Amino acid sequence: MIEPSLALYGEAFARVDQHLEELLEATGVRYCLLVDRKGFVLSHKEALWAPRPPALDSVATLVASNAAATAALANMLGERTFSEQTHQGENGTLYVESVGDEALLTLIFDTSVALGKVKVYARKTISKVEAVLDELKDAPVPELGEGFSQGATALLDDLLG
Amino acid sequence: MSTINFAAREINCKIVYYGPGMCGKTTNLKHVFGKVPGHLRGEMVSLATEDERTLFFDFLPLDLGTVQGFKTRFHLYTVPGQVFYNASRKLILRGVDGIIFVADSAPNRLRANAESMRNLRENLAEHGIDISEVPIVIQINKRDLPDALPTEMIRAVIDPHKRYPVHEAVASGGSGVFETLKVASRLVLEKLSKNR
Repeated sequence: MIEPSLALYGEAFARVDQHLEELLEATGVRYCLLVDRKGFVLSHKEALWAPRPPALDSVATLVASNAAATAALANMLGERTFSEQTHQGENGTLYVESVGDEALLTLIFDTSVALGKVKVYARKTISKVEAVLDELKDAPVPELGEGFSQGATALLDDLLG
Repeated sequence: MSTINFAAREINCKIVYYGPGMCGKTTNLKHVFGKVPGHLRGEMVSLATEDERTLFFDFLPLDLGTVQGFKTRFHLYTVPGQVFYNASRKLILRGVDGIIFVADSAPNRLRANAESMRNLRENLAEHGIDISEVPIVIQINKRDLPDALPTEMIRAVIDPHKRYPVHEAVASGGSGVFETLKVASRLVLEKLSKNR
């Protein structure tokens, strides 16, 4: 194993999804993402009224890289990590907070939403989501079928010629 | 280890292009971006300086399609090759599933190749990753240089025990780019099914 990773599936996924949905409704943010520290989107929710989100893969990658960079900075300053980051622009805010050691909660919202309110609700959601992720650590590793490698290789041939 | 999302039924793998400064990592990625049909790739993110040297990383998501009901996706990253950017280079290696080491064929970059390989070992070790556990493919790039060193000579410096598959390439013209990526992806996929 190279790095502990999260496999979010089944009932656990549904619970995380539900927590994100509630957070979205309670705060009025546009987009709500749970991203793992490697930059993969684990789960995402968007408000019905919000415009189409930017490329979520890119958002997740940049958020994770940014978190990695600031964590390295934190280490230099004698901190273990900076658990929370706010980036405020003219029209909106990006708010990122750690969920345990493996994930990041990312919220994107416009100026009509109060940052203080978001923080309060985000904390609540994080403690719930963290509990779900903790349970997952003991979950059995799911098995991939026999022919997975062959199937994927065939697709690879199609894609790369 | 790859991230498997069973709810969304997605498998994500991370492949990193490593190598000395100016060896052609970003050029590799740009070629892939240019040749893969739009619906199979996402946006390319480049964090580069004004003169187009990679500052933090380049990123390109690539969709393979659905295998046994799992949407399989590769995330391709490059690192900044310049020696003094090691802090950010190390960050990109986090959680890597496969590495493509791009070596430069120019005679005056032979030492840089060796140093970059040593740096890769050090950085992997700092992440607690055993180098023998990560699939690595070597791409010997810039074969079109008039004074390009022999492949064997470059290999002797970066891979003396001949552990890794080697491919020749001219990334600026696109030759060898897909071949290298294919070998690396295949190794990652094989490891994925073996581990589980």
